Amino acid sequence: MTRLFSAKDVSVKFGGLQALDSLSLDINEGTITGLIGPNGSGKTTFFNAVTGLCNLSGGQVSIDGKEIGGLPARQIYQFGVTRTFQRSRLCLSLSVFDNIVIGRQNSLDLGIFSNLIRRRQFNQSVRENYERVHGLLRAFSEPLAQRIFDPLHRLNMIDRRRIEVCRALIAEPRLLLLDEPSAGMTPDETREFMGDILNVRKHNPRMSIIIIEHEMDIMQRVAEHCVVLNYGRKVAEGTFEAVVADPWVQEAYLGAS
Amino acid sequence: MAIFFEFVFNGAVLGIMYALVAVGFTLFFGVLDVIKFSHGDVLTLGAFSGLIAFLALQLVGLDLPFLGLIFVLLVACLVTGAIGAGIGQLFVIPMRNSSAFNILLMTLMIGTVIRESIRLFYPNGANPKAFPSLLPKTPIELGGVFLRLDSLILLALGFAVVFLTHWLIRHTKLGLAIRAVAQDGDTAQAMGIPFRRTVLATFALGSLLAGIAGVMHGIYYSEINFSVGLLLGIIGFSAAVVGGLGSIWGAIIGGFTFAALQTLWVVVFPDASGYRDVFAFAAIIIAMTIFPTGIIAERYSERV
Amino acid sequence: MNPLRVVSSVAIIAFAVVWTIVVLAAEEQWQVGAALAVAAVAIVAVSRMKAGAELASLLTDSGSWVVWTIPVAVVAIAVAIHEDHFQLMMLASVLIYGLACIGLTIQFGYAGVINFAGAAFFGVGGYTAAVMGSTGVPSLLILLAGGFMAALIGSIIILPVLRTQGHYAALITIAFGLLFRSFLEVNPALGGPQGLKVEGASVAGHSLLNGITFGSFEASFYLNYVLLALAAFTLFFLLARNLEKSWIGLNLDAVREDTVGASVFGINVAGWRIFAFVVGNFLIGVAGALFAMMQNFIAPSNFTFSDSLLMLSIIVLGGIGNLWAVLPAAILVVVFPEKLQGIGEYRILVFAILVVLFLRFRLAGLFPRAIRQFRREVGQ
Repeated sequence: MTRLFSAKDVSVKFGGLQALDSLSLDINEGTITGLIGPNGSGKTTFFNAVTGLCNLSGGQVSIDGKEIGGLPARQIYQFGVTRTFQRSRLCLSLSVFDNIVIGRQNSLDLGIFSNLIRRRQFNQSVRENYERVHGLLRAFSEPLAQRIFDPLHRLNMIDRRRIEVCRALIAEPRLLLLDEPSAGMTPDETREFMGDILNVRKHNPRMSIIIIEHEMDIMQRVAEHCVVLNYGRKVAEGTFEAVVADPWVQEAYLGAS
Repeated sequence: MAIFFEFVFNGAVLGIMYALVAVGFTLFFGVLDVIKFSHGDVLTLGAFSGLIAFLALQLVGLDLPFLGLIFVLLVACLVTGAIGAGIGQLFVIPMRNSSAFNILLMTLMIGTVIRESIRLFYPNGANPKAFPSLLPKTPIELGGVFLRLDSLILLALGFAVVFLTHWLIRHTKLGLAIRAVAQDGDTAQAMGIPFRRTVLATFALGSLLAGIAGVMHGIYYSEINFSVGLLLGIIGFSAAVVGGLGSIWGAIIGGFTFAALQTLWVVVFPDASGYRDVFAFAAIIIAMTIFPTGIIAERYSERV
Repeated sequence: MNPLRVVSSVAIIAFAVVWTIVVLAAEEQWQVGAALAVAAVAIVAVSRMKAGAELASLLTDSGSWVVWTIPVAVVAIAVAIHEDHFQLMMLASVLIYGLACIGLTIQFGYAGVINFAGAAFFGVGGYTAAVMGSTGVPSLLILLAGGFMAALIGSIIILPVLRTQGHYAALITIAFGLLFRSFLEVNPALGGPQGLKVEGASVAGHSLLNGITFGSFEASFYLNYVLLALAAFTLFFLLARNLEKSWIGLNLDAVREDTVGASVFGINVAGWRIFAFVVGNFLIGVAGALFAMMQNFIAPSNFTFSDSLLMLSIIVLGGIGNLWAVLPAAILVVVFPEKLQGIGEYRILVFAILVVLFLRFRLAGLFPRAIRQFRREVGQ
């Protein structure tokens, strides 16, 4: 098993608040890791730190042995890290296709000449990307794929979440960070959604996923390895069963949920 | 040496005027996260209201120098306070969830409406108007330094207003409400603080500071014109930004910083004093490059 | 392509052409007022009818051939009014301001970079034309030089604009606009408040100051400027349209809508903002140079803060981000104040009020921007 991602003693401080406190975490290729913890325990902050959206006040983060801590977000993307957001961040005035194809930044030709003058070539590029986006959408929902050119603001929240995940998947990332992807979904929708994500993953078996979830069913079903956070620190780690059996976790967190 | 003090003094008067405008901007931003760009033109409105008030007094035949000043200031404050709150009620509060750009552009255009209205509807509005010297211009000598009495009084008045505002914010119930809303509007509301009323009161307060600054400007330069607010507004806004939007002391420091820069320019390059405004604008651009979030960093930034 | 759809679209465009001719040629005040009323009714009606939606999608989704409607329509208008100096000059002004507004659209409509110094960059182009006019450099190169100078100066002040966010960026462009005008008025080298004379343009040795004569067809020399402005407008319209419907246009939209989301997916937010600002200013500078050459004269009073606000009014009232709305909105803002005597002085006030109302009641403009859809490219 190859080591893909490594976080060592990562700390993040906001003014007086210690959001992350010496968190260490290793992820191997092709694994799914669950991140559990009460609200405010630092899970999203961890995602922000990894993707370059907030500054590290200590520690190192690396992918394939290369240090990414402190790099700007857009460079971290080039290492193959993509994510979804707790509160959906999508461009509501753009179409479904536009929103998803944004995820393919590393493959799109952004030259002035290619875009303004060589239109036939550009149209070809549109067709190629259309095939990919359409194919990916169909893996989630055929009716949604039909609406590929609809403006995003006309879609309901569940479809928007699917599109956000598609955007993160389309670039075939090495590391995918999912932040509460099933929020607002019914258990059936959630089961279907996670099933679709796992299906897509079959095309990219080396991709690793870190998933933040409050639904323990999903964690149990999907996560091979779990990490529990509280007040920015790691308090438990192991398989789902092991973590759930931990007396502290049971009392402090699972008892309340 | 005496000349030096005179320059410092003049710079201080300019600084206090900028500071009054800047405090307004910072209050608006603190309370509602908006840039109310009509602020500068509200200042012009205040100055012109004061002028009209004075002319009305003259018409009635009253000529009481000291009370005249009080009356003019009162009218200016009433008008600007009302307009400021009105703009808040009708335009800004309903739009507060819109993008910052929309609000900025809208308030900028509202300011333009005010500015153009003055230019078009006040008799001969396009030309500068003489402003009454409501204070005695007697020269005073303090240890070899020659100052005008009216400038001294204006400076004192300006500082008094600033300290009064600070006291209000720190030690009254309204001030507490303003600080609470500035910190976190939702929580303040949940704690029972009347959000809308507090915001409107803040708008009124900030705007009447501009009214005072407008009258001061008129007395100091003995004239006003329809575009004075645009210039003071942009310098006041920059002063608030450089000082850190949301910080009252920052706004005051920012105001004095710009006044100092302009005075310095006139001292060092007396032949190029015509470029005073050009230099001010260049200073704004440079200041923003060096301090993109102000000297005292802006307090409220976006959460991801 | 549905023939009925094409017919209804052509009918609407023909109506617009006739309407423009009427507005430009109108002599009586009541004619102008009536035209305004007719336009208001027509816009409301067409925007509710299916024909309106079909026209919008025809203009947005079709290939580049559809851009030819602009030169065809403008030449038709120009021929109809070919004898009148003033009317042709207004038509040329509409095209020139339209070109500047394409620049503003790229900056603000696409990338979300606000530019309150539009008139200042317009002036940079104009003063470049004034300074270079007497050097014997070909006029077309002077136009490019005007654009280049505006782009250059823009790239200097973009650095502070980039380091700052939203409202600070606005502050910097406002400060620059005021600085530019102040500087010109105080500095005698560029004519001071009195301004400078500008050499007229000449293409291939023929001065554009000469009228055009084809047998019995005698046209005012302003027709030359109409054609020159039309050529520039059409060219840059085509390029801007391609820009919008490209991966670059997509990136610009992402930068505008959500910088955090954009950066997380590898988009170079700062880079695209610089690109949009510089390219937009280039177009504004070219327009300014054209304007100066046509007027044979420029002065600082042409390039005030209020003029920048008028330019922004054109894109806000027309529909932010919609290239096709630029010309109709420019007609509204440039022509009507000239035609409606009495309104002239009040135009800044009137348009400021309109913009405030449009923003307050969230009206997206007369012709809101249509969503980008690649249906035609993928064969739907």
